[in-house]
Amino acid sequence: MADVLKVENLHVSFDTYAGEVHAVRGVTFHVGEGEVLAIVGESGCGKSVTAQTIMKLNPMPPARIKEGSIDLCGKDIVAASEKEMQDIRGRLVSMIFQDPMTCLNPTMKVGKQLTEAISQHRKMTREEAKKEAVRLLEMVQIPNAAERAEMYPHEYSGGMRQRAMIAMAMSCEPKLLIADEPTTALDVTIQAQIMQLMAKVRKETGTAIILITHDLGVVANLADRVAVMYAGKIMETGTAEDIFYRPQHPYTQALLKSLPTVDTDRSEKLVSIAGTPPDLFAPPKGCEFASRCDHCMKLCKQHVPPTYDVGGGHMARCWRLHPDFPKDQKEGN
Amino acid sequence: MAETANNQAVDNQVLVSLHDICKYFNVGRGKTLKAVDGITLDIRKGETLGVVGESGCGKSTLGRVVMGIYHPTKGQLTYNGKVVDLKKTRDRFNYSKKAQIIFQDPYASLNPRMTVGDIIAEGMEIHGMYDKARRQERVYELLETVGLNREHANRFPHEFSGGQRQRIGIARALAIEPEFIVCDEPISALDVSIQSQVINLLKELQGKLGLTYMFIAHDLNIVKYISDRIAVMYLGNLVELADSDEIYAHTLHPYSQALLASVPIPDPDREAQKKATVLGGDVPSPINPKPGCKFAGRCPRATDRCRAETPALREVRPHHFVACHLVESEQEAPAQA
Repeated sequence: MADVLKVENLHVSFDTYAGEVHAVRGVTFHVGEGEVLAIVGESGCGKSVTAQTIMKLNPMPPARIKEGSIDLCGKDIVAASEKEMQDIRGRLVSMIFQDPMTCLNPTMKVGKQLTEAISQHRKMTREEAKKEAVRLLEMVQIPNAAERAEMYPHEYSGGMRQRAMIAMAMSCEPKLLIADEPTTALDVTIQAQIMQLMAKVRKETGTAIILITHDLGVVANLADRVAVMYAGKIMETGTAEDIFYRPQHPYTQALLKSLPTVDTDRSEKLVSIAGTPPDLFAPPKGCEFASRCDHCMKLCKQHVPPTYDVGGGHMARCWRLHPDFPKDQKEGN
Repeated sequence: MAETANNQAVDNQVLVSLHDICKYFNVGRGKTLKAVDGITLDIRKGETLGVVGESGCGKSTLGRVVMGIYHPTKGQLTYNGKVVDLKKTRDRFNYSKKAQIIFQDPYASLNPRMTVGDIIAEGMEIHGMYDKARRQERVYELLETVGLNREHANRFPHEFSGGQRQRIGIARALAIEPEFIVCDEPISALDVSIQSQVINLLKELQGKLGLTYMFIAHDLNIVKYISDRIAVMYLGNLVELADSDEIYAHTLHPYSQALLASVPIPDPDREAQKKATVLGGDVPSPINPKPGCKFAGRCPRATDRCRAETPALREVRPHHFVACHLVESEQEAPAQA
């Protein structure tokens, strides 16, 4: 399986008046063809910045790629000019956002917005583009697509707007689709519809997807592989089964335990992670999670742990995985 | 299990009682938005009543009517056996001593120009509780109760993170020693790791102070975890009301069933096994709604009767209320099994 996207040791910073914010601090991951990679993390962990950097959507300055490389279908994104990016966006990679209302142009009919994207990248007459737009709206299961294409975004409901966004993102059949919190603004029943739609789109077109979310339930539903981000770094990455059933990093473990499920006993207290994520103006010297970690050792506060391979591409960044770490203590958690 | 036994003991003590509460908004051109349309329910002393539904179902409006922030268009609110006329300033003032609210957005619900200490003390000042020195003492106590430091009293809200602000909101609600707190989506604006902190805090306070909660949320896993009873709302109506274990074990209303089925489970295997019962369509507009069951348009089992006649809330199993025509006909067979 060839990789659609390869991100190597990516560092992104923002220069602000208060100082430099290290939003992304050495992120390495790859996405295979037709694969769904979920990036999970809390707000401010750098997951959205990572995604925006792949599309070069964050304004530079203040944003700055300090280090690292992004390889998208053989194209070097870091070095690409804005002009080259315009060709890459939409054709190779496209994005759907959290809030579909602010991402659609309120003064243009939805069909028109779709044809605009199509004619930008594909050689088609206006008539053909229009037909293609209706076909796309049908693909995302909008009822009466031909009629709906002639309507404005405000006449759509939240779920339909997100469908229109997906149609637009898929209009040029990109190799990679980045979905940044696609269902966060939606209700559960609509969220289920959109997730089903994304699974269908992936099956029909074979697009690789990067799913950015904080909802582990959504991840379990869609993702093949998962990367857990915290304070600008990937703490753990592996297949969905690795992450959900064999989590190695204390942060992942705590995150999974802190969620009540339908089966959680009500008399049981929820596991909570004390404290708050670190300040990225001045990232801690050692492990980022050390101050909130139950297993914190002296070493953790002083030195950043390297990434350990637990087996089969399952990697985690924790000192407790060091080969010399006593095994019996590992069992004891 | 101890909790359940406790609930049985206080079973009959109704603290807040809503009778046929309606809240209509005039949206111009002779149109009416029926946000809450005839809700009757009791909240018992010491329990947590979870209210769930999708956005626009009127759950927040209901919370605000219960708090007296909105005047109900119709209906009656009874607190501790006494009718509260929220249009009377005196009644509302006395009522606000007993009932408080925690808002969803910890960024918008704290005055940015007041220090945290002033925010928390304001309610006590209004109700003339304690002298100034004792009030200050109380502020410190409250800050410590919700897991903050007393040094935080002199700071302003912008200096705090979302989870900390929500704690300030909780401290403010607790300041005047209320009996009843409406929690209007208190955790949906917070991160996952912070959510469980706030949930644990709310549960701990309930145990310590004997509070009664009305917990409004759209996250069904959390509602199940925190609530003793759950009310499911759809488009201004109550569609199902039962004990939380009962409602998950015997979900009767088709809408509740769809709602529960669409909750994503953080477990890939179970998520894959889950039957695809995705509900089509969107929540219809609550402006000038059609007669009949409001869910009929999306219901996979709707009949002509559903479209013509509005179903009433009936008790189909012990302490289990459902508003659906279809449940009646099925009642004998599955309910007994």
